[in-house]
Amino acid sequence: MTDFKKIEENLKKESKRLLEAGDVTVVLAYGKGFDESHPMPYAAKAVADVENIVFNEYCNYNMARYLVRYPQGTKIAIAVKAADSRAVIVLIQEEKVKRENLVILGIPVQGMKNPKTGEIIDSKTTCGMYNPVLYDLLLGEEVHGSKSASPYEVLMEYEKMDKDARWEFWKKELDKCIRCYACRKACPMCYCDPCFIDQSKPKWADKAPQSPGNMMYHLTRFQHLAGRCIDCGECSRACPVGIPLYLFHKKVAKECEEMFKQQAGMSIEDKPVLVDFRVEDSDKILE
Amino acid sequence: MVKKITIEKISELVAVLMEKGTLLAPVKEVSGHNFAQISDPQKVDLNFYNTIMSPKNAFFPHKEDFVKYKIGKSLAEAEATVLNLKPTFLFGVRPCDVKSFEIMDIHFNAAGIVDPYWRARREATTIFGYAYDLSVPLDSADFYNTLGIYAADPEGSDIFMVKKDKELLLKGITPKGEKLLGELSSLARVSSADENYFEEYIKRGKEYKTRFTCVDAQAIARKLETIFDNVDFWTKMSSACLSCGICTFVCPTCYCFDICDDTMFGKGTRSRVWDACMFTDFTLEASGHNPRTQVYQRLRQKISHKYSYHIRKYGVISCVGCGRCTRHCPVNIDIYSIVEAALKA
Repeated sequence: MTDFKKIEENLKKESKRLLEAGDVTVVLAYGKGFDESHPMPYAAKAVADVENIVFNEYCNYNMARYLVRYPQGTKIAIAVKAADSRAVIVLIQEEKVKRENLVILGIPVQGMKNPKTGEIIDSKTTCGMYNPVLYDLLLGEEVHGSKSASPYEVLMEYEKMDKDARWEFWKKELDKCIRCYACRKACPMCYCDPCFIDQSKPKWADKAPQSPGNMMYHLTRFQHLAGRCIDCGECSRACPVGIPLYLFHKKVAKECEEMFKQQAGMSIEDKPVLVDFRVEDSDKILE
Repeated sequence: MVKKITIEKISELVAVLMEKGTLLAPVKEVSGHNFAQISDPQKVDLNFYNTIMSPKNAFFPHKEDFVKYKIGKSLAEAEATVLNLKPTFLFGVRPCDVKSFEIMDIHFNAAGIVDPYWRARREATTIFGYAYDLSVPLDSADFYNTLGIYAADPEGSDIFMVKKDKELLLKGITPKGEKLLGELSSLARVSSADENYFEEYIKRGKEYKTRFTCVDAQAIARKLETIFDNVDFWTKMSSACLSCGICTFVCPTCYCFDICDDTMFGKGTRSRVWDACMFTDFTLEASGHNPRTQVYQRLRQKISHKYSYHIRKYGVISCVGCGRCTRHCPVNIDIYSIVEAALKA
């Protein structure tokens, strides 16, 4: 099992070193919250901040979410778990950050927990990978041997539904939405400013938490994330009303993988599938 | 007057209330409990800690239609929404949430500024307060003691309820509550032991300790004014904040709203919809200028509104310490810790 204490020590040690040497101006990691089971995303900007860094099984946050808050060119060290590293890769592909400005501190981890439910977070709601894809330094032992289930396994039940049943399913789920926008705010890939849903000229959807507006918001967001979602599951974890957003994202990711033979955020050499054109690309979507 | 009913038979009481009018009570949903209008008596579930959403929805719905209009027609032809309210029973409200109604009354039901929709709903509603179960461990996010509220405070409720093993004891607090309690024949009389238990329980509520810090309203108001320009402090406090609207939407005392006109095919509705000061477009002006583009400015506004401006204008803190904002924040931002840090800043 993952040695959380060891990772925390390494995280502190490397953060201190990088800040002291002036290699970075900020370390994006995890910090103390109001109690141990509630750590927070944390930005350490000075050596003195390092003592507040923590790492435990509740540090679910995808710190890639915070990268775009800093002006281009800022030297940033970022702590990433498996899915988080994939988010960093997509942000590099989309030229939101430059590889040379980042020091990526990789955290291999197994057994992260949702503090609200106490459940282990696995391939049901996330990509289920244990080891970061891209890193400069690894802060713990890579996890090998315990193979996680396919991230698409959870779709088995969903795919049994026909088109009408799926429509009814999403209508019912999205009806619960209170439009707090925590999903887009927790999402490392949702960086549009302004987001289409905040625009008033034209106004794309009404503001009230009811069917047409909720549909417009979520279906558009699902589309915008096609081929970009790296399945970190943060949108679903953030949702206060428990909408299983991961199902839609996983379904689209699976279709993308089948059509374009590429998973999002696996290599900085890749281009996001929907901005790339290859002659051999699938025409399935046009059929 | 104190009466009782076994919790197993709660659906009988529920059925009577449903006959008398509209019943809003906690029901179990996928991710927790919420208040909902009851159509099936079996759905009422009192086995909850606190609801995800605060009960403010009962008086201040997330969306409230005011006027329906047609483009090109005269104003006289527009139809204002008329509320036809039946007597309403808001059942199972925790003491801290009951307290929030009094704070919200300042904005919607005080002399000079009356919101007719809020007032009509308030007047039609009988509040059944419900003490926290003192045998259940506290949620670490709660801090209502800091705001002078206790786990079994009957104040503000019309009828107050306390759990005694498998029974529910109900006591009339206001004349409105007393009258209703008298009419509820499905409830049984109680012994003097039960009455003592009820009074003891209220006292014991004071020993059920949430997080507490000594907050003097005037002192915190002043302090937040002096650190308004301390950008370092606010940047630090907000570095994790995602700027979503969960904290304000679940909050029992957040009352900001937007007036929206939604028009399609010549027909439109003007409605009031909850808004949140944490949203980027909350302060976006028609000119395109936005005075609060940064996350720290928005978080500072939220904290200062509750713990400073509200005190300056109305004399009270606009927070009841229910802990919802902390409990549901996806990144664990804790208003209590921010207030504590502000006092030390």
